[in-house]
Amino acid sequence: MDKKLGITDLAKREERLAYTLLIPTFLILLIIAFYPLGSVFYSSLTNREFASAEPVKFIGLQNYSDLLSITIKELPPKLDDAGQPVIDEKTGEQVYERSIKILPREPRRYREVSQFSLLGKRYVIGATDRDFVRAIWDTLLFTVISVLLETLLGLGVALIVNTNFTGRGAMRAVMLVPWAIPTAVSSRMWQWMFGSTRTGLFNVIGQALGLSNGQTPFLTESAWQLPAMVAIDVWKTTPFMALLLLAGLQLIPSDLYEAADVDGAGKVRQFFSLTLPLLKPTLAVALIFRTLDALRVFDLFQIVLAQKRYSMASFTYYQLINNREMGYSSASSVVIFIMIFVFAIMYIRMLGGVEAE
Amino acid sequence: MKRWNLILALLLITSMLLSACGKPTPTATPAPATEEATTAPATEEKVTVTIAAGAVGQELELAKAAAQRYMDKHPNVTVKVLDTPDLVQDRLGLYLQFFQAKSSEVDIYQIDVIWPGDLAEHFVDLYQYPGAKELAAQNFPAIIKNNTVDGKLIGIPWFTDAGLLYYRTDLLKKYGYDAPPKTWDELHDMAKKIQDGERAAGNQDFWGYVWQGNAYEGLTCDALEWIDSNGGGTIVSPDKKITINNKYAAEALDMAAGWVGTISPEGVLGFAEEDARNMWQAGNAAFMRNWPYAYSLGNADDSAVKGKFDVVPLPAGRAGHGAATLGGWQLAVSKYSKHPDVAADVALFLASPEEQKIRAIQGSLNPTVMSLYQDPDVLKAVPFFGSLYDVFTNAVARPSTATAPKYNDVSTLFFKAVHSVLSGDTDAQTAMEELELDLQDLLGYESATPE
Repeated sequence: MDKKLGITDLAKREERLAYTLLIPTFLILLIIAFYPLGSVFYSSLTNREFASAEPVKFIGLQNYSDLLSITIKELPPKLDDAGQPVIDEKTGEQVYERSIKILPREPRRYREVSQFSLLGKRYVIGATDRDFVRAIWDTLLFTVISVLLETLLGLGVALIVNTNFTGRGAMRAVMLVPWAIPTAVSSRMWQWMFGSTRTGLFNVIGQALGLSNGQTPFLTESAWQLPAMVAIDVWKTTPFMALLLLAGLQLIPSDLYEAADVDGAGKVRQFFSLTLPLLKPTLAVALIFRTLDALRVFDLFQIVLAQKRYSMASFTYYQLINNREMGYSSASSVVIFIMIFVFAIMYIRMLGGVEAE
Repeated sequence: MKRWNLILALLLITSMLLSACGKPTPTATPAPATEEATTAPATEEKVTVTIAAGAVGQELELAKAAAQRYMDKHPNVTVKVLDTPDLVQDRLGLYLQFFQAKSSEVDIYQIDVIWPGDLAEHFVDLYQYPGAKELAAQNFPAIIKNNTVDGKLIGIPWFTDAGLLYYRTDLLKKYGYDAPPKTWDELHDMAKKIQDGERAAGNQDFWGYVWQGNAYEGLTCDALEWIDSNGGGTIVSPDKKITINNKYAAEALDMAAGWVGTISPEGVLGFAEEDARNMWQAGNAAFMRNWPYAYSLGNADDSAVKGKFDVVPLPAGRAGHGAATLGGWQLAVSKYSKHPDVAADVALFLASPEEQKIRAIQGSLNPTVMSLYQDPDVLKAVPFFGSLYDVFTNAVARPSTATAPKYNDVSTLFFKAVHSVLSGDTDAQTAMEELELDLQDLLGYESATPE
């Protein structure tokens, strides 16, 4: 394409100059981005141990299959000696065979992740690394719920502080406080508020309202763990979302609203027909940021839940630092990288579509 | 177009913000915090040795004072003390960075009791230096055994720790008990009775027994005590057999799971040492399992239980004797040191009975030298040390040497399995069965029943 006839020497020289000037940038990119990424990818194909003189062996995609292998098996009903299905006396429900007997052990062992019933049959999901599979699921769930809540709340906050009222400047500053607190500090703060006895704020409130006995272990009971994580994250990053959306709102010219008023459109109609479409590009950018950030959430999980429950990033951390599995943790990093990459491409497609409109 | 420029600018700014505050980068090698290298290069034989030491409580202060005493005796040696992170896992992370770089920056490392096996390849054998054999013989044999890897002495014990049962003397008396519990069953009954009584008397935050139930290394220690005291072995035996899948181990875990929500708060599954101590020190628990450090803090002026408690060895299960998990710290000399001989001499000096005595008196750090538990000066300063002697002689080591270099994986699998039993997600038998298979996959050892 470039080799069009009639291209002048000047243009060629300029092109050469442009490439020459780009060389430093490419070199820096090569050193600070591609080299580390490449070496992580390479060590993900080995059994390298962190800080050890053990010889490093190339093991191909073994780490990846250990991380990601999943199987689903049907659990047969448990039969007693007479060949009759066993019924639990207390609940009156069918008892199934224990999953440890059903899940394959060779060549690699599968551990139970969870069970579900479908069409009257019982199935068990097994994974070679159930912690990582759970971490992926938990991180995705965390990402979707927290980003959704942050977007809705952030939009609300942005709309409020975009209107005219006295003290608006102060309000905008105050709004940013949670975002300004380092995650390590806010995580600790929330950890105390979620305290499992009446030293914790939520237990005190719960007891005052008669909802609990003041001893709810929010951070150890699995049903409460993710909601707690989402609550902390929403509290912390809603201001960020609001800030981004506020910037987008301010770009919408006010005469559009005046025209809409003249045409007799109500506030709700104005919001859906004017504000939302015009805010879409900003919204897309904000969503990219929050989603990619939420997918690699580390500090929140590492500080509050530690090894009780992992996010993908905190799983990687514990594999590297505690278990010194550098190859294995590199593989899980690459998985995180690929997932984020997929999300990024999806969003950029969306964004590109918006731009074309 | 203008709009897009603005958004792009915003993008740029936020991405900078994100990378600046969103993601804390792991700390690189910290600058030596103390005692800058001597400015005047003296004679050629002048040697500098650096110790990576702990800084919990008085530790750093004591280490610096000891380094000064060494330097007074050996004017040609400069001993620098490097301040390291308080959290064990962070400290390991820092050490691993030094080892990864084969750095000679640090000569002596203060290492945890569970590390000798995992880190053995980075340390010299101390037995090859004069005085090491003699000093080792004065220490508790269990601790020396833990520091011995393939016949090499990897670390010289510096101070030690073991799990203890703290109990409220005043409450035991109030409810008609004249002695602390000898067995877990007794503990349960006493805890229940005291808890019911105290709650009826108006303290609804009162619990019978607090311990460490969070999913972390501390739970490995606690659970090992329950299991070993019930004759269930030590997860992996010293002769490299996987012994965890047995009915005594499962029985011990079921027992502990039964405490949760009855004599221990449900939140105990999120408790580490300090959570347990806070509850105990506020006067809201009848019994506590903790390390010796809680003793002096419990007797501080701001403590609600000052003078109202005492410590005893942990209760016994089926095995007939209690078990206390061994903790503590050793000094090890780096293989990458430029002066391993001088470093070894410094390490042996710091771990000598004289130095340990000073540390015991000034910092109430438990000596590893047996004779110091009968030393009148030590007993005068910290009276409860006398009763610890038996605890340390009966202490049970975590299987860190037998499972090296995979101890951390083993411990993680173990405490996660135990945690799932305690929280009621699985039953003890299934959890131990799965753990056995996991350990077989991980270690390749055979299974056996504990002796």
